[in-house]
Amino acid sequence: MAVAAALLGGCSGKEEPPQLYQELKAADKLVLASMSLTKTARLEDSQWYKIGKRIAVYSYDSYLEAFIDMSLLKPEDVVFDDATRTVRLTLPPVEVELAGRDMQMRKVYENIGVFRSDIDPKERAAVKEQANRSLKKELEADGGFRRQLEETARRKARKYFESLLESQGYTAVVDFRSDSQQDVKSSNLSMP
Amino acid sequence: MTKTIIKLSLTLIAVLAVAAGAIVLYSRFTSRKSNIEVEKVRVNEVTAMVQLCTMDIYNEVPVLDTINSKVIFAVQKQRGSISFDIEHLDIDASGDTVRIVLPPEIVQLREATDDNSWQVIDTKYTGMLGHIRVPRISVNEENRVKAKLQRNSIRRLYADGTVAHARAEAVKNLEQMMEKLFRRPVQVVDPGPSAETH
Repeated sequence: MAVAAALLGGCSGKEEPPQLYQELKAADKLVLASMSLTKTARLEDSQWYKIGKRIAVYSYDSYLEAFIDMSLLKPEDVVFDDATRTVRLTLPPVEVELAGRDMQMRKVYENIGVFRSDIDPKERAAVKEQANRSLKKELEADGGFRRQLEETARRKARKYFESLLESQGYTAVVDFRSDSQQDVKSSNLSMP
Repeated sequence: MTKTIIKLSLTLIAVLAVAAGAIVLYSRFTSRKSNIEVEKVRVNEVTAMVQLCTMDIYNEVPVLDTINSKVIFAVQKQRGSISFDIEHLDIDASGDTVRIVLPPEIVQLREATDDNSWQVIDTKYTGMLGHIRVPRISVNEENRVKAKLQRNSIRRLYADGTVAHARAEAVKNLEQMMEKLFRRPVQVVDPGPSAETH
């Protein structure tokens, strides 16, 4: 409906069309590591019956994030031993999710012949779509990205909580619950 | 002689027309293999941080903008979050109550990675002979449209109270987390949303 309203409303570019959908979800996540992943894609449209080349190469970054859900931290996960001045802290498992991609694309290369038409936004959208599908496939097939990010997140969490508790005169032993999810979540938000 | 020339010319025109038609039909109906090639993913950067995220955002927004007399209409799916850098908190633990000042919010809004997160529906010219000219929006022009969209969407998060709500959540969540670690009452002071400069 909103799409139709926006289309019928003309194309002055002055008015901001209404949002089609919005979902806001309160969270309690401790984000500990982020990985930017570059995808580069090439569009080539050179056929024997057309004069001139039509080649474009674009790239953009997507982001993986590792976090722990702090709403899962229970009081019994923090055990103080005042005699030995130690704290045993058992943190929720590290989870990894795809946290979006850059809106803008970088133009790496373009070679459009004089008799050929420029690359239009629909073609660029198709390039990005294909690169995005390829990225998801690669992340599913290769768990190395997730493992590297999880390890960085665990190191950071240990360092942070050890330092925080050390400031109170305690030595911290930080562990993680092991029921970590194995799959990269493309989105933890439900779709309309 | 003239008749022969006319006949030859007509035959030549007919042959050329048939050839041109054949090429058009060939290009239209032959199944072309995909002309997009995607390289393997490359890790650009890994960053460690400690950020408390208190709001996940998912938007679908129509984009209607004009740039250099060219109009673009598209639909974008956005993914974002509102977080707080709690790595270097201002903590006063000298009294019975631990006092912490909530840091400025980090509002992040990106394109989602769901299928069809950037769908271009139409483009057109608004200038002279706009209805017959084919608009070609360059990648730089498209990026400018998207940057403006990003700024407007973030501004909307401030205007509709989403950022204020995320800050209130952060006060609550940070107090709960720190009380478990300090074993004392914790009071998080919120100086309010940072000046929205977008």
